[in-house]
Amino acid sequence: MSRGRKKVLMRCIAVILTIPVFTGCWNNRELSDLNIVMGLGLDKTDDGKILLTVQVAEPGAIQPSSSASGGGGGEKQEPVFVVSSEGETVLEAIRGMLAVVDKRLFFSVAQVLIISESLAREGIEEILDFFERGQEVSYLMNVLVARGVSPDEILRIESDIDPIPGVYIYGTVENSVSRGTVKKTMLIDLLKEIACKGKQPSIGQITIVGEKKVKTKGLGVFRDGKLVGWLDKDETRGVMFAVDRVESAIVNVLVDEGKAALEVVRSRGTVSVDVENDEPVKLVVRVKVEANVGEYEVKGKLEAPERIKILEKALADEIRKEIGMAIDKCQKEYVSDIFGFGSYLYRFHNRCWKKVGNEWDEVFSELPVEIDVDAAIKRVGMIKNPLTKEE
Amino acid sequence: MFDWIKERHRAGKQKSENTGTGKVLYGPIPKSIRAVRERLDEIFSCCSDVIIREIACGEKKKIIVVYIDGFIDKRLLNQDVIHPVINFLTNVESKDDVSIYDWLKECVVINSDLKDANDMGQAVHGIVSGEAAIFIDGEDRALVAGVKTPEGRQVEEPDTETSIRGSREGFVENLVTNMVLIRKRIKNPELKMEMMQLGERTKTDICICYIKGIANEQILEEVRKRLREIKTDAILDTGIIEQYICDNRLSLFPTVGNSEKCDKLAGKLLEGRVAIICDGTPYVLTVPYLFIESIQTTDDYFDHAFFATFMRILRLIALMISNLLPSIYVALVVFHQTVIPFKLMITFAASQQGIPFPPFVEVLLMIIAFEFLREAGVRMPKPIGEALSIVGAIVLGEASVSAGIASNLMVIVTAITAVCSFIVPPFIRVTMLLRFVFLAAANFMGFFGIILVGITVYIHLCRLRSFGVPYMAPFAPLTVPDLKDSIIMVPVWAMITRPKILRQQENVRGIKGSKRQREENRK
Repeated sequence: MSRGRKKVLMRCIAVILTIPVFTGCWNNRELSDLNIVMGLGLDKTDDGKILLTVQVAEPGAIQPSSSASGGGGGEKQEPVFVVSSEGETVLEAIRGMLAVVDKRLFFSVAQVLIISESLAREGIEEILDFFERGQEVSYLMNVLVARGVSPDEILRIESDIDPIPGVYIYGTVENSVSRGTVKKTMLIDLLKEIACKGKQPSIGQITIVGEKKVKTKGLGVFRDGKLVGWLDKDETRGVMFAVDRVESAIVNVLVDEGKAALEVVRSRGTVSVDVENDEPVKLVVRVKVEANVGEYEVKGKLEAPERIKILEKALADEIRKEIGMAIDKCQKEYVSDIFGFGSYLYRFHNRCWKKVGNEWDEVFSELPVEIDVDAAIKRVGMIKNPLTKEE
Repeated sequence: MFDWIKERHRAGKQKSENTGTGKVLYGPIPKSIRAVRERLDEIFSCCSDVIIREIACGEKKKIIVVYIDGFIDKRLLNQDVIHPVINFLTNVESKDDVSIYDWLKECVVINSDLKDANDMGQAVHGIVSGEAAIFIDGEDRALVAGVKTPEGRQVEEPDTETSIRGSREGFVENLVTNMVLIRKRIKNPELKMEMMQLGERTKTDICICYIKGIANEQILEEVRKRLREIKTDAILDTGIIEQYICDNRLSLFPTVGNSEKCDKLAGKLLEGRVAIICDGTPYVLTVPYLFIESIQTTDDYFDHAFFATFMRILRLIALMISNLLPSIYVALVVFHQTVIPFKLMITFAASQQGIPFPPFVEVLLMIIAFEFLREAGVRMPKPIGEALSIVGAIVLGEASVSAGIASNLMVIVTAITAVCSFIVPPFIRVTMLLRFVFLAAANFMGFFGIILVGITVYIHLCRLRSFGVPYMAPFAPLTVPDLKDSIIMVPVWAMITRPKILRQQENVRGIKGSKRQREENRK
């Protein structure tokens, strides 16, 4: 063997040897060997174990393709199936599930994670560790707290609206963009909120309405990882306005013994704390909204600028009221700063934070609040005046 | 990596050189006509197509006319050559001051194409290449008259390269016709055609065609050198020449271009490339051939530049797809389910359900089935082709899906891949093989494997040269002026300079160029 040849051979071997080193995710698994999990539910059994419920999609039933139905029709397949499993830990519950299902569970496209009320009241921080650690878990799934029902029941509903309940629930939460009455909390948001100093986590709530529908409305307020109470839909919207999570919302106002629906199209909210001598003195919420007139069920004309002014004032008052209720409840009842006033202090008045940070929630609940809402009506729609006969 | 193969090859080449050329020497032409006759009978023994005709002129003089039956125009031969010669020799007394041979050559034979053969070898070569040789008693020279019949196919539109606009003329098998076709488009004495012969036995006529003053002399010299170095006894097609003269003989990628279209070739010549025409094949080679030429078509230049640019982007995407689509699909389904949007994932999973094979095997089966069909379509007599396409469409498309052998998504993937692979014709064969390499890499290492193979291919492409010109130019090395005719194409009126990377002698096209030349002439 000549020298040149040897060199070439050595080079080839070197190249081949390096290849296995580079391979990152080496587990070759096929799509048809996976159970695609659409929704997850976490509950607690009476004897303190974790009860995990998963909703698995049956692709063949959702999208009947000729290749899948090649073996001849048969009875109609359900689009999803739901299985539950108990375990001391989440991972044990997941592995335990393999005794019931045939293929590996695949979590990357899971849409929702529903936590039961009882589990939430005991604390969620420990349980979420698995979801933080596992590389297969999607950080984008929505987290919700089930109010009054178990996650199992929610995942087992057979909705007419979407064949996959997980997708259906996800869709209703996504709609919050245009209503602002539920907080959309993705797993990554929740983890951030838990880790964030001076802010308590809050998760949207979900309940069952009737036989086949769910409702996502309102908010569950947490304190130190434990659920402490609920906010209703108006209060939730107050929170959303304050923390700048409203993209669009409908606010009803009463003017001159008539109703008007204003469509908020742009909203900008900030929370801050006034500090004097390194002591927090006042919580400040500033919201600036722009709205269009969506409906105007009031007798009279909408031409004059004064009428618009009245509407603007009514809108500002309504929003101020909602924010006020929310902050009041969080201060008095739950003693939990879900707005992130504390993180404002932590970031901009660190000296002050060092003083009060340890018992911030208590300090927070004592502070006076200033809510400053600036509302502007931009457009009144296609018509100026309601179509009524001239008086 | 393949150095040792090259070495072995080089050694083999040297050996063949040492064994000698194998040329047969025919010797001089005997003076006596009888001896000539004997010699010819010996050379052309068992050549039933060679006609050796002895004609007596007057009492003493005899001539022998030799030609190949059917190769020449007999009427022309009789009219312009034999008849005047016989007349002359019968009626005219021999003159002492001028030899009969010279008389014949200069005054009698009125054929325009007339040559001397000073030895038997030249005469024999003339005969076998379609000329008529006339041996005259008492002369040690022979007249060789070119009276070839215009044989072969008519000029017609090439099947392989059809275009929407532009000339429908394609090259034919006849070298002379091909040369005329080029000359018709470039009416300029600067268009040079150098003839040479290759192949010890076939004696194939080869023509190096270029435009003097544009083509780079170095490249031209390299072409001549490489052609001269070809040591083989048979050149049947330019494809054989291509394999001998390309830079990297082991590379899958073509570094020598070929075309059947006259207008395309004229364009290439005007860019400063060198063409090699070979007798007996309609495919003309052009060198240097760069990667970017694969996505250029003649239509581009005849249409609006915006459409051309769009089409080029499309072709490049098609090239990518035909290489990568099956492997990307396999990588997604086998390794990277996480990156599939979930609605798409449901679709993927639904189509995968109930398929007994892993996706890799499935893709492999489908692609190989397609290659079978394609090859059968090429080899098969045309009337049966229709039956084939029906069988192919039903078996591949419909039956395999409903039988649960392949998923319908896989059929779509294969179909798109197949369609895309025909969009860039020069790379059909390359992608056919590369596809399998990518596929294997995707099945073992996912996207990582695809990227690994992709980088390897790209490095290879960047290292490749075509007659000294970097293959990936104008991108690697970046040649900014040449980007005007790459993926983006500027309108023809704005394409003032020729591709710079070819280092032409005269880089500027059109009016500017001639103006500069005029100034130079004035000085």
